[in-house]
Amino acid sequence: MNGLFSQLVVLGSSAMLLTALIVLWRRGVPAYITAYRWQSWLLGAVTAIVGAFSGDRELYLVAGALVLLKGMAIPRLLRTMERRFGAQRELRPYVNTETSLLISGLLVVFAYALARPWMAVSRLPTRAGLPIAMALLFVSLFIIVSRKKAVTQIIGFLMLENAIALLAVVGTYGVPLLVEFGVFLDALMGFLVMQIFVYQIHETFDTIDVEQLARLKH
Amino acid sequence: MSALSPFVLLFAPWALAGAAALLVRRSPRWVGWSGVAAAALAVAASLQLAAGLLAGRPAAAAMGDTFGADALSAILCVCISLVSLLAAAFGPGLAGPETDAGATRRFRVGLSAFAPTMLLAVTTQNVAIMWVAIEATTIASALVIPLARTKASVEASWKYMLICSVGIALAFTGTVLAYFDFISTAGARQGALTFAVLQQAAPVLHRELMQLAFAFILVGYGTKAGLAPMHTWLPDAYSEAPPPIAAMMSGVLVAVAMYAIARWKAVVDVAATPAFTNALLLGAGLLSVAIGAFSLVVQRHYKRMLAYSSVEHMGLVSLGLALGPAGTFAALLHLVNHAFAKSMAFLAAGRVSRRYATTEIAGVSGLLGAMPWSGGLFAAAVLALIGLPPFGLFVSEFLLVRAAVVSGHFWIAAAVAVFILTTFVSLLRHLNAMLYGPVPEGVETGEPRSWGLVALAGCLAVLLALGLVLPWPVSALLDRSVAVLTP
Repeated sequence: MNGLFSQLVVLGSSAMLLTALIVLWRRGVPAYITAYRWQSWLLGAVTAIVGAFSGDRELYLVAGALVLLKGMAIPRLLRTMERRFGAQRELRPYVNTETSLLISGLLVVFAYALARPWMAVSRLPTRAGLPIAMALLFVSLFIIVSRKKAVTQIIGFLMLENAIALLAVVGTYGVPLLVEFGVFLDALMGFLVMQIFVYQIHETFDTIDVEQLARLKH
Repeated sequence: MSALSPFVLLFAPWALAGAAALLVRRSPRWVGWSGVAAAALAVAASLQLAAGLLAGRPAAAAMGDTFGADALSAILCVCISLVSLLAAAFGPGLAGPETDAGATRRFRVGLSAFAPTMLLAVTTQNVAIMWVAIEATTIASALVIPLARTKASVEASWKYMLICSVGIALAFTGTVLAYFDFISTAGARQGALTFAVLQQAAPVLHRELMQLAFAFILVGYGTKAGLAPMHTWLPDAYSEAPPPIAAMMSGVLVAVAMYAIARWKAVVDVAATPAFTNALLLGAGLLSVAIGAFSLVVQRHYKRMLAYSSVEHMGLVSLGLALGPAGTFAALLHLVNHAFAKSMAFLAAGRVSRRYATTEIAGVSGLLGAMPWSGGLFAAAVLALIGLPPFGLFVSEFLLVRAAVVSGHFWIAAAVAVFILTTFVSLLRHLNAMLYGPVPEGVETGEPRSWGLVALAGCLAVLLALGLVLPWPVSALLDRSVAVLTP
């Protein structure tokens, strides 16, 4: 039973990592939004699976909130933003596709090296998901620093949040509920404020290419 | 309920002021005064908290582990609420430039959200709630940076929001890692996320994991504190934010972030040896002091000059935290001094930039002739910031260098002395360029005495008191905070 449980968790976590790689590989923002939506649904699924096997009822609530907020509401807001700006494509990121994929491979290896002491500490059946969550965190950070479009950076940030949520659920079966909802509220507010700024950038600069933002120097 | 009462007085007034700002569309003056009243009540509540602690009546934890205050929380509460009071009084609607009604309302709503999130961050005992509160400070302050929607301010707030959100997400990763360690080695327990329980369990926690967690936490909260090399958002945000918000961000928000680092250091030091956290803090501190000092030399804008001075001062605080109990005392005293000196400098700079309509140092000359009061107070604030006696920062910097020498870190003491000297010379040069010379054409001269000047003079009085006598309530609270942080 535990074998099936840990395999399901690893499968879900790996699929989440794959959806992050789509952002490095595809060029259109709609594809990124789809990837993010899939990732959030997978996160909800992993949370629900952990809840089912550990018997922790609170996790169902968390999984439901994850799917509602990150799997449905935020992707919808992202689509609205996308439609408003027309077809935005990440044409020339700072790092090209081949190098990006190579670097993310190295990041995954690094995450496994970093996670070795944790694997020794933890006795949870879900511990195999820890290095994958860490890898997702590093890949999301890389998405943020290597892409130019504000929307892509936001998606990178949202994926970073998913990575931390995954880390919490596979490492500790979730942080306490009060904290979880504080984090949700912050995530939603933060996203809404970022969205406001994207509209403002679009209005004042006539582009959402962050490369254009270079007025402030010394 | 009785345990909750000081906290009710700390937060409820802000909720009312925020509601007033949201709902009352007319009479921005009244909304402004309600913000001032809320801040004044919060000042009273935090003074009551501090007085209770000094009289041996600790504020008991209320609502499980959510609220609770020790000496360190009380000191920061006093600083936060006093600086918020200044910011509320200097904001649009009461003072400051004429802005449109929408911008004024946004400022008041933002202020009423910003101040209580900082107060929550320092009065919660729960590390995760502290994280939620600090993340909320980013959101609340980012909304008020672009009051005037210029390209520069939109750019600055985007940079601030993105870099700080990512940074703070890393701090949460560190928090989750520490919680993971706790759950795995000490077993699940009620209140596992409070400082007291974490510190108690720390001896059995896994050393390597806690060190990794601290690395994440330092990068995360260090981003918010403006420690180099994560400081890149800071000069833009400070120079583009309206002066009252810049005063709160540079005066107390950085202190809140350093507070989070200090609290976590106390936990990790028990789990591992302090050598690791000290090494990281010394590295980040020296780099910040160096970058701050050298950026000051080449500065052409006076608001950015104040911002880089924050980088330098947070570097000093970070060094102090790594130098044992004496250094920690110096670091905390420095945080208090910096809060008043920096807010005073930004508020005075706001008056200067309104009169001269420029933020370039080259565009400002004859300041003492044009604005004798504001100019004089601005000069006093800058002199305090470079650590000139008799101001408080001289004492804390002196204590810091002495702590470095006593603990055997001679080369750190020497490096700090060199960097402090560099900032001294360059800030003095910039200040001279602004104070003297002919007043540019089109700038009107003379200014009436107003209550705004009285408020700034109040900051000056605090700095003098901290420098000349170091009143016993302050030193007693600081001593107790050091005892909490270095067991």
